[in-house]
Amino acid sequence: MKTKSKYSKFSLYLAVVLVLIFVLFPVYYMITVSFRTQSSMFMNPSFLPVDFVLKNYRAAFTSEQFGISLRNSLLIGIVTTSVGLVFSVLAAYSLTILRYRGRDTFGRVIVVAFLTPGALLFIPLAVISANLKISDTLHGLMIIYLSFVVPLGTYLLLGFFKNLVGELEEAARVDGASRLQALWYILLPLIAPGIASVGILTFTACWNEYLYALVLNPSPQFRTLPVAITFLQTADETPISLIMAYSTIAAIPILILFFVGQRFIVEGLQTGAVKG
Amino acid sequence: MSEQSRNHKKIRSRFRFQDSLLGYATIFPATFVLIGFFGYPLFYEVYASFTNSTVGQPGEWIGLANYSHLFSDPSFRAASLNTIIYVTSVQSGKFLLGLAVALLLSQQLRGRNIWRALVLVPYALPGFVAYAVWRLIYNPDVGSLNIFLMKIGIIDSPIAFLSNPEWAMPAVVVATIWKGFPFWTIMFLAALQSIPKELYEAAATDGANGFQKFKHVSLPGIRPVILIVFMISTITTLNSFEAIWLTTGGGPGSATTILPIFAYKSLTAFQIGESAAAALALVPVLFILVFFVMRKLKKD
Repeated sequence: MKTKSKYSKFSLYLAVVLVLIFVLFPVYYMITVSFRTQSSMFMNPSFLPVDFVLKNYRAAFTSEQFGISLRNSLLIGIVTTSVGLVFSVLAAYSLTILRYRGRDTFGRVIVVAFLTPGALLFIPLAVISANLKISDTLHGLMIIYLSFVVPLGTYLLLGFFKNLVGELEEAARVDGASRLQALWYILLPLIAPGIASVGILTFTACWNEYLYALVLNPSPQFRTLPVAITFLQTADETPISLIMAYSTIAAIPILILFFVGQRFIVEGLQTGAVKG
Repeated sequence: MSEQSRNHKKIRSRFRFQDSLLGYATIFPATFVLIGFFGYPLFYEVYASFTNSTVGQPGEWIGLANYSHLFSDPSFRAASLNTIIYVTSVQSGKFLLGLAVALLLSQQLRGRNIWRALVLVPYALPGFVAYAVWRLIYNPDVGSLNIFLMKIGIIDSPIAFLSNPEWAMPAVVVATIWKGFPFWTIMFLAALQSIPKELYEAAATDGANGFQKFKHVSLPGIRPVILIVFMISTITTLNSFEAIWLTTGGGPGSATTILPIFAYKSLTAFQIGESAAAALALVPVLFILVFFVMRKLKKD
């Protein structure tokens, strides 16, 4: 019995190691290649860390396009997340605590919008933002991003609000204008983990968004990072190691956010999916 | 108890009017966004799919012509078939791998929390980064997969995985599974944890072995989560534009062109009406999927 359990313990750890290699190899590889040069990659093809040159990073941080795109991505992420959080908290509050005609319909529309993928709507959104003259602008993309940030945020926050049944009852008894104060002073501190989780997830969603940014903001001065990376590749050449350096820089903020907020994110995803 | 509830009722009715007012006021910003940038675009898209609109031209009403043209178009049929193959393989892979890793990481292991955090990495990595890296992994000249396979002697000459018609689809499927399976793992882990230990103990006293416990305790316990995750993840996979656009671009030929790629290509050809119809072709599938999952969930 004992030897058998020792044997199975060993195979468990072996399985963990195999899973981790599969999961982590691409990230390791991306970082390794980002420290190589294009010519050395072709002369000495290897996936081991054989070079350590900072040329690609220097090229990234001295590139004007990179600076502009990094700034665009940060601005869009921060503004959209902040505005989206305010809208989503208000909506989730409205849908859980207040009673009014049509509330359930609003709730259902939120779920439908949450489930609707961007690939379904990019065509009309391109036409509409061209008509509104907001295509190829930063504020235009921010507004368009609200269309998926608000349903995502509201849907996830609904789960957090629904967990607060007792406190909701309390807050519901407060009179008149102080209702909103109750939201601010009583409910918000209680759903702070939810706000952290939704904040990280929506910022990530904006930072990672590719299709809308590609279709709506092709001009160099309004490109976000993902689009800028796509444009590094030309018909003549693919600067592989430079692309990997850009990618590493683009991935680091998100990886840090995920590890700092891992507990909140996992809770947010689970609350949203299981209770929503 | 009854007095208290009567009291509640009184308070409720007193505040009903305020409730409505505040209710509409707080839902307004979200509704504004949803009507303007979700409801209206959707409506517009349905309308445009019945017109021969092109970029800059509103076009004329042509009824179902776009749809009948699409369904007789062999490249649209190929894209639909590709979508079915892609989504089915990706989702089976994510389910199996996601469940296996969740079961593995729910065992008593040293450093379990660290392993759980690390498994999240593909999910945390931005899609545009992940698929650029996979494209490099598959590269025939300098890619790690070819280097590795040649080193251990499985192949003699490099395979251009992404431009080979036979390999392109499996290659893209593996990359998509890699990116997406951790979401399933996190969800399954949480669901497995919420199953009461007593159930396993009861099963053990009844003489159940490991597999029986899995089949009769774990699986029913995580069934609702499986259904919800299946629904959300299938919808995203049906629409994985970047997974394919950034690796194969839909090629070689149209070997990996799925419907969102097809719609994007018709949009870049300035055919708004036609690309709207192509994008909307997925909607009935989404409806059936959501309906099926919701009904199953209600039954439980």
